[in-house]
Amino acid sequence: MSFSQRTRRNILLVCVAVSLVCVAYPIYVIRPFRAQGPRELAVALLVMRYRLLVTVISALTAIGVVVMYWRSQAKVWRKILATLGGALVCVLAALARVNVYESLMFHPVDHPAFAAVNEVKVDKDDKMLVVKVGGIARAYPIRTMGYHHIVNDFVGGTAIVATY
Amino acid sequence: MWTRDVGGLRLTFHLAGINNQNFLMRDDETGSFWQQISGIAVSGPLKGSQLTLVHSDELNFATWKAEEPEGTVLKDTPQYASQYEAKDWDVRMKRAPVVIQFPEHGMKSRDLILGIRAFGASRAFLYDQVVKEKLVKDHVGEEPVLLVVGADDQSVRAFRGRIPGVDGSPDFYRLTANKPGSLLMDAATGSEWNFQGCVVSGKLQGVCLEPVAMLKDYWFDWRNYNPKTTIWGKT
Repeated sequence: MSFSQRTRRNILLVCVAVSLVCVAYPIYVIRPFRAQGPRELAVALLVMRYRLLVTVISALTAIGVVVMYWRSQAKVWRKILATLGGALVCVLAALARVNVYESLMFHPVDHPAFAAVNEVKVDKDDKMLVVKVGGIARAYPIRTMGYHHIVNDFVGGTAIVATY
Repeated sequence: MWTRDVGGLRLTFHLAGINNQNFLMRDDETGSFWQQISGIAVSGPLKGSQLTLVHSDELNFATWKAEEPEGTVLKDTPQYASQYEAKDWDVRMKRAPVVIQFPEHGMKSRDLILGIRAFGASRAFLYDQVVKEKLVKDHVGEEPVLLVVGADDQSVRAFRGRIPGVDGSPDFYRLTANKPGSLLMDAATGSEWNFQGCVVSGKLQGVCLEPVAMLKDYWFDWRNYNPKTTIWGKT
């Protein structure tokens, strides 16, 4: 299958635009200190749900178009420009996989570790979120939770998520 | 605090965004997005599902340690510990801007409140006022509730104001004498109660009040998710 130069350019531009929207729109909508309207939030979450697949398809399409360019008689500068466009789409596909809230802002507690009350370094007036499940008591310092926000845990036979 | 089991699935949550300054979580298993404050899935295959609340309290460490000497505490993650919040961060956050506002009944957006949603109603209690009163006897909907401040003048718990096996809703009083372990006395039986809502002295030894879930939150966030909330002392 071959496309005209114009068609190849348009396909590449669409790939760049779609991938850019997939990455940028959720970041634009869902950011701290900005009000989120219900409709725009719903759209942003929908984009986040499908962008892994969409950006992969976009990247594969862009790569295909770049290959077509290099196999064609197009001028060198067009081939280089197309390659840069394709590279941008691939970078956006990679960025779509990055959770900025955990990678850049608040890192998760991947493997929560716990200490006995007499071994932990906590001030007596530190505030704690505390639970008791199945007879097992657990505390989560609010200073820690204020950074990580989420801890997936298992207490007294129950899988819980501590949030703050 | 929420359970992680929903519809036969065990979910693992990650921070995924923010919605009017209340954060969103996403589960690895289905990719659904959940609102932190409500535990409701707002997008994805599990949209509309509700996580089950796990009762929790916000207590001062010394108070909790005395109650649970065998308890365990989440340790710091060393590589991020330098970025953890200062001790009074919820107070310092009072100066941070808000993106939604509900200036009703003289409430300021970042007033710290204790919110109870139970018995078909929701009610907010100004935290500073509760700490000052030390014992608040009020109603949420038609049910009597007690908000009890611990001996540390910081920790607060909420209970249903009914004693199992006793008719009606007896009156409770704060003990003024410094008696370790005893905080309240009820007018019906003369029993003394501790901060965990259990009798420590008197004829009802071993009986405990029913804890009521309570959330310490900023007014704007509580009001956003509880539009019909009333306010202790104001409505």
